[in-house]
Amino acid sequence: MALVFVAASGHSPSAAASAFWEGAFGDRTAFATTLEQAIPLMFVALAWIIAFNAGRFHVGFPGQIMVAGTVIGAIALTFSAPRVVQLPLAIVGGMIGGAAYAGVMAWLWARFGVNEILSSLLLNFIAFEYLAWIVRGPLQEPMHVQPSTDILKGTARWPILLTDTSLKWDLFLVPFLVVGMVFLLKRTRLGMRIRMVGASEPVARHAGVRTVRMGVYAMLISGALAGLAASSLLLAGDAPEMTDDFESFVGFHGIAVALLARNSPIGVIPAAILFSALTQGSTLVEALVGVSSAVADITQGIVILLVLSATTILYFLRSSRRGIVRTARAPEASVSRPEAG
Amino acid sequence: MTILAAYGPFDAIFLGSVLILTTPILIAAVGEMISERAGVLNVGLEGMMLAGAFFSYWATWRSGNLGVGLLVGIAAGAAFGVIMGVVSIEARANQIVAGVGINIVAIGLVTFVYDQVFGSRALVTVGRIHTWDIPLLSDIPGIGKAVFANSPLVFLAFLLVPASWFLLYRTKWGLSIRAAGELPVAADAAGVSVRRVQWTGLLVAASLAGLAGAFLSIDQLGLYRNGLSGGRGYLALVAVIFGRWHPSGVLGASLALGGTTALALRLQSQGDVPPEVWMVIGVIGAVAAALATRTAINRGRSPAAPLVALGLAIAGFVLYATAPSLDLPDQLWRSLPYLIALVVLAGPGGAVRMPSHLTIPYRRGT
Repeated sequence: MALVFVAASGHSPSAAASAFWEGAFGDRTAFATTLEQAIPLMFVALAWIIAFNAGRFHVGFPGQIMVAGTVIGAIALTFSAPRVVQLPLAIVGGMIGGAAYAGVMAWLWARFGVNEILSSLLLNFIAFEYLAWIVRGPLQEPMHVQPSTDILKGTARWPILLTDTSLKWDLFLVPFLVVGMVFLLKRTRLGMRIRMVGASEPVARHAGVRTVRMGVYAMLISGALAGLAASSLLLAGDAPEMTDDFESFVGFHGIAVALLARNSPIGVIPAAILFSALTQGSTLVEALVGVSSAVADITQGIVILLVLSATTILYFLRSSRRGIVRTARAPEASVSRPEAG
Repeated sequence: MTILAAYGPFDAIFLGSVLILTTPILIAAVGEMISERAGVLNVGLEGMMLAGAFFSYWATWRSGNLGVGLLVGIAAGAAFGVIMGVVSIEARANQIVAGVGINIVAIGLVTFVYDQVFGSRALVTVGRIHTWDIPLLSDIPGIGKAVFANSPLVFLAFLLVPASWFLLYRTKWGLSIRAAGELPVAADAAGVSVRRVQWTGLLVAASLAGLAGAFLSIDQLGLYRNGLSGGRGYLALVAVIFGRWHPSGVLGASLALGGTTALALRLQSQGDVPPEVWMVIGVIGAVAAALATRTAINRGRSPAAPLVALGLAIAGFVLYATAPSLDLPDQLWRSLPYLIALVVLAGPGGAVRMPSHLTIPYRRGT
């Protein structure tokens, strides 16, 4: 499909295709970059999945990543400590930052019944302005020219996993978190209660589950995972400093990755790699063949829309074949207001 | 030009820039309000606006005709509305993610076509829409030129407000729209096609978003550059929420968003915050406190909202009296409308006004 656009621009599709493959998976360096860029997408996708299971459809990942980024930036800039201290501190700080910002949304929802889709949308804008101010104010580089911080301390950054590539050790967080998410959802009381609330709020309430509390927990965990994505972006990314656009749509693309994976924690891994490959491949296509890398955006967007339509239609087809009359579980919970008490 | 009734940074030029900055937000927000009242949340507004901005510019450049440009801009927005409708109304997919997808596709497509067509050329400007001077009114000294000598699209934006009110509350079509967003089962039972109503609402929103984009490119600037919409589509979404899904609320919210953007632009060039700004904040806080107190007493609600407004008023007056030397970041001013919108949502009855079936796909026979 992307090749259609390439052909439309008057370039050779075959040259573009081979350049694309080179850029995404061609050699060790290219594949390592694809993999590294996929990691924050996986974390955001997992963040979406936990909130989704509780029926809370927030879109606050960009904001949570940005706020977490400022915490990480502060920890990685203001002091020096051995890596075993500073790196974990920065990561945990980011997770707390992300969870705290998600906490604002959770509080507005639990206390005032503010729909989390709307509040997270607004909180994203506030976080954007806040980050823009942070990198032009308190944490600006010493020359006070660029809208970015100074170079983050090396002791706060992830060590390189494969020499001469951009792949860092944060890759090893991925299997741990994916398995952790499956375990949490399928094997723990908390996970089971969260899924009950997402499946049917009234039933969960009758079963004695504190539905509001479960929604809040899910949103906090979700925010912490978004904060983790921020730490991978900043402490394992290629840029040595924090700019006001370091988030670079990871927060929204992560949602698309989760949908592509059909909300399966394990499926998140291939889906994120596919998404990342699209971006990486088209970067080389632009450099070698001269086709605008905007083609990657078009393709990613079309993939989102197609997968979204296909999965929803399949869902309805399957449920009607079983003869079960039910509405889509997902949207039903999306506007449920917390009950008082 | 003689400037009457200037108050610190609040002069006729400021008023004029508020109107111009409000216009694209208001045009898109009115459409989005109609769509959301029908139950479709269209996050793709930003992408539709960008598409409208680019394609209207392209068409104007090719045809040399602004009318053609405007129509193409509207059509570009509507085309993305069709995609949104197929995904969200026909396939009943999650509207928010569909909107995010629309934004990504639109931004990618526009960047791609722009690179193809204009990438190697120097910046081309096209003719802009002429301003209309409304007779007599534009001769009012001071504000006349700023308010009544503007592009016809500015006047159109403000006319859309009463027009949308009439449509929503005084026509059968408006009733169907509101029913589709509030209780689609009832609308269905009454013989209204929820699908068709949602489609029309969505297409109105998409077309107006395209028009708002065209306003930015071929009306205000006469040129296009990447990222021209600059988040105004998202601001329009905020205006609908902040305006509580009602035409007059959406007008007020759009003006507030345009006003704070204009203020942020104006204060960017100045160091300290002029004391007049504090005075205006104090007065707005006092008026809001009075209104909120009346509502709280009439409806027996908690005194939280009036107290917040009263605090704002007191803070404004104290800062005016002390006139501290404060160099506040302009990001603070820009985030102000979002903060206020959050407070409004959390305030008494804030969330209740939301169309109760917003973002929920309707499925017959369940």
